[in-house]
Amino acid sequence: MTVTIFLQNVLNGLSIGSVYAIFALGYTLVFSILGIINFAHGAIFTLGAYFTYVLTGGAFGFNGLLANAMLPVKMPFAAAIVLSGILSGLVSVMVERLAFRPLRRRKADPLLTVVSSLGVAFVIVNVIQYLVGAESYTFPADTYGNLPPAVNFGTTDNPIPIRSVQIVIFAVSAVILTVLTYLINATKYGKAMRAVAEDATTASLLGIDTDRFIVLTFFVSGFLGSVAGTLVGSSVSIAGPYFGIGFGLKGLAVIVLGGLGSIPGAVVGGLVIGLIEAFVPGEFSAYKDAVAFGLLFIMLMVRPQGLLGRSFVQKV
Amino acid sequence: MARNRFIRTSLMLKAMHSKAPFSLLAAFAIVLGACSPNPAPTATSTSPQAAGASNTALANGTASIAIGIGVAQTSNVALLGQEEVAGAKIAEKYFNDKGGINGTPIKLVFQDTGGDEQGAINAFQTLITKDKVVGIVGPTLSQQAFSADPIADRAKVPVLGPSNTAKGIPQIGDFIARVSAPVSVVAPNSVKAALKINPQIKKVAVFYAQNDAFNKSETEIFQQTVKDQKLELVTVQKFQTTDTDFQSQATAALNVKPDLVIISGLAADGGNLVRQLRELGYKGSIIGGNGLNTSNLFPVCKALCDGVLIAQAYSPEQPGDVNAAFREAYRSQFKKEPPQFSAQAFAGVQVFVEALKAVDQQRKVNQQSLPDLRVALNKQLLIGKYNTPLGEISFTSEGEIVQKEFYVAQIKMDTNGTSGKFTYLK
Repeated sequence: MTVTIFLQNVLNGLSIGSVYAIFALGYTLVFSILGIINFAHGAIFTLGAYFTYVLTGGAFGFNGLLANAMLPVKMPFAAAIVLSGILSGLVSVMVERLAFRPLRRRKADPLLTVVSSLGVAFVIVNVIQYLVGAESYTFPADTYGNLPPAVNFGTTDNPIPIRSVQIVIFAVSAVILTVLTYLINATKYGKAMRAVAEDATTASLLGIDTDRFIVLTFFVSGFLGSVAGTLVGSSVSIAGPYFGIGFGLKGLAVIVLGGLGSIPGAVVGGLVIGLIEAFVPGEFSAYKDAVAFGLLFIMLMVRPQGLLGRSFVQKV
Repeated sequence: MARNRFIRTSLMLKAMHSKAPFSLLAAFAIVLGACSPNPAPTATSTSPQAAGASNTALANGTASIAIGIGVAQTSNVALLGQEEVAGAKIAEKYFNDKGGINGTPIKLVFQDTGGDEQGAINAFQTLITKDKVVGIVGPTLSQQAFSADPIADRAKVPVLGPSNTAKGIPQIGDFIARVSAPVSVVAPNSVKAALKINPQIKKVAVFYAQNDAFNKSETEIFQQTVKDQKLELVTVQKFQTTDTDFQSQATAALNVKPDLVIISGLAADGGNLVRQLRELGYKGSIIGGNGLNTSNLFPVCKALCDGVLIAQAYSPEQPGDVNAAFREAYRSQFKKEPPQFSAQAFAGVQVFVEALKAVDQQRKVNQQSLPDLRVALNKQLLIGKYNTPLGEISFTSEGEIVQKEFYVAQIKMDTNGTSGKFTYLK
């Protein structure tokens, strides 16, 4: 393998990996605070992409209840992504209220919450399909303004091109990681969220309103999911209402690999899986998913706490 | 924080172990969720009245004859299926305006197959047993046909494939035929056209979707044509129709500097691949296979779709009368030229109608039982000659279409990339 091909694969891996990482960040936030896998994250991811599409003036096709609908206004992309994030955060809070809170009140088995979230995911996705049909939608070509379509990391003779939107996704994941780490470790809110995660009962005895922080966590997770969906949608088009659901399962592998509950772990897990997938030879590209889950399996056998999770020391 | 996570997870795993049935249920739900990114939604019938009527029609002779249309109306494959629905509906109106089957109107019954095999099987079964159709036009994908057509064949219901071009479709059974010319006949024309535009082409990169029967069939033909034209096949890259990111495959191909790229995929994945190749700096020619042969490709790659060559089994400028009427009806409704998939669906309905008319002249269709009518229709349609929008067509005894006219079109996008059209090459 030449240096050019090796470098290309590394950069490809980081690109693919940062897509997984940006999805996993919102996913792992809910897991780290509440200990539940929220399969509805994939649906919020999809919803966020659709919201941004509509807010940037996109029109819908002729299927679905809202055939040919479009907003009379056209927001700039940056404003649309933020507003879409807020709307998705609110939907995420609603999901918590309707699907998670009743089960939490009754101290139900955590597995029921997982199944409930899966149900919510399909409901949201089917509502989207009913409203706007199953066609693909693409963001306008000038979404990123004057950014060139690809950046060449090699030379003219041995080009190593990477699409600019992948670089944007990588950069945004890094920013989100920094902001989240700061939020969790250095602010009062972060300390309160960590207390709720440690032990919700004790936290509430100490005067922390656990419900409020759980709602806040879901809002932030929904916001992050929406940002991720929008960016991925701008890269590969919104391929229909189911385009986020596939990420949900791969995201599980990412967060387990990186360490359940570890936020930097989500990013590391995503990049590692991306790199491994990029080095899978072309003939075996159908087995990329098998590689990701194979890694998950090996990690669970060898180091169950993941790459960055802290190991559990048994106290006698 | 992580420590507690670990405790909770191991407790959860223990709980899963003790509630084995529940964990099985959850695992099943998760696997279902993973396995069907495009699940077929429940089929909807648009004309429940015709279902009962078609059976009783054969007794009292006043109601209509039901013809089934089993194509993809939802999922990614709907990008192709929608065009078939449009063509079929125009055919229904056209032939009923001309008196239907010697006075008895036809009624199209639509069942959505979705994008996968299971959906096609369900749609066909509903059309055959509940809607009691005399014949079915469908399904959209060859991949679906290999699963669903045997069901119809066993039930002795004639099927006309409107867009199944893989090798082996008519051979599935005696009741299976197609109006879509096989890929072995259509595809090589685009390679010849690409060479005519740029005779300097030497190195060819081929991409194909390996999880789809049609694309696997088409790529074999493309690869053989490349060899026959004495060109160098520098790389063959595989992907899945459900993929969205082609960074690895595209960069691997660009690394060997091809002059021509040939893509066998469907509309959403094909469009993404075209877009990503162009964004990564590919400047050479691109040929798209029949799965990219739809204007639903345009929103995916927009201005970057420009210049893609696709072989066609239909041209709007075909000089027959039936095509003129079809083209006019399509243009007045949709304000653009009719696409190949619509023309093929129209031809499918036309073959059934004209064959039914011939059967009716021998013995009134209203007096035949449904099983007898289906068998008679199947026998008749294979021996007829039809003047369709595709030109004059007929069938071999196996059900393979015999068609003479083929074309190549090139996508031309307007400058802002929002609309485009297929320009036919001379």
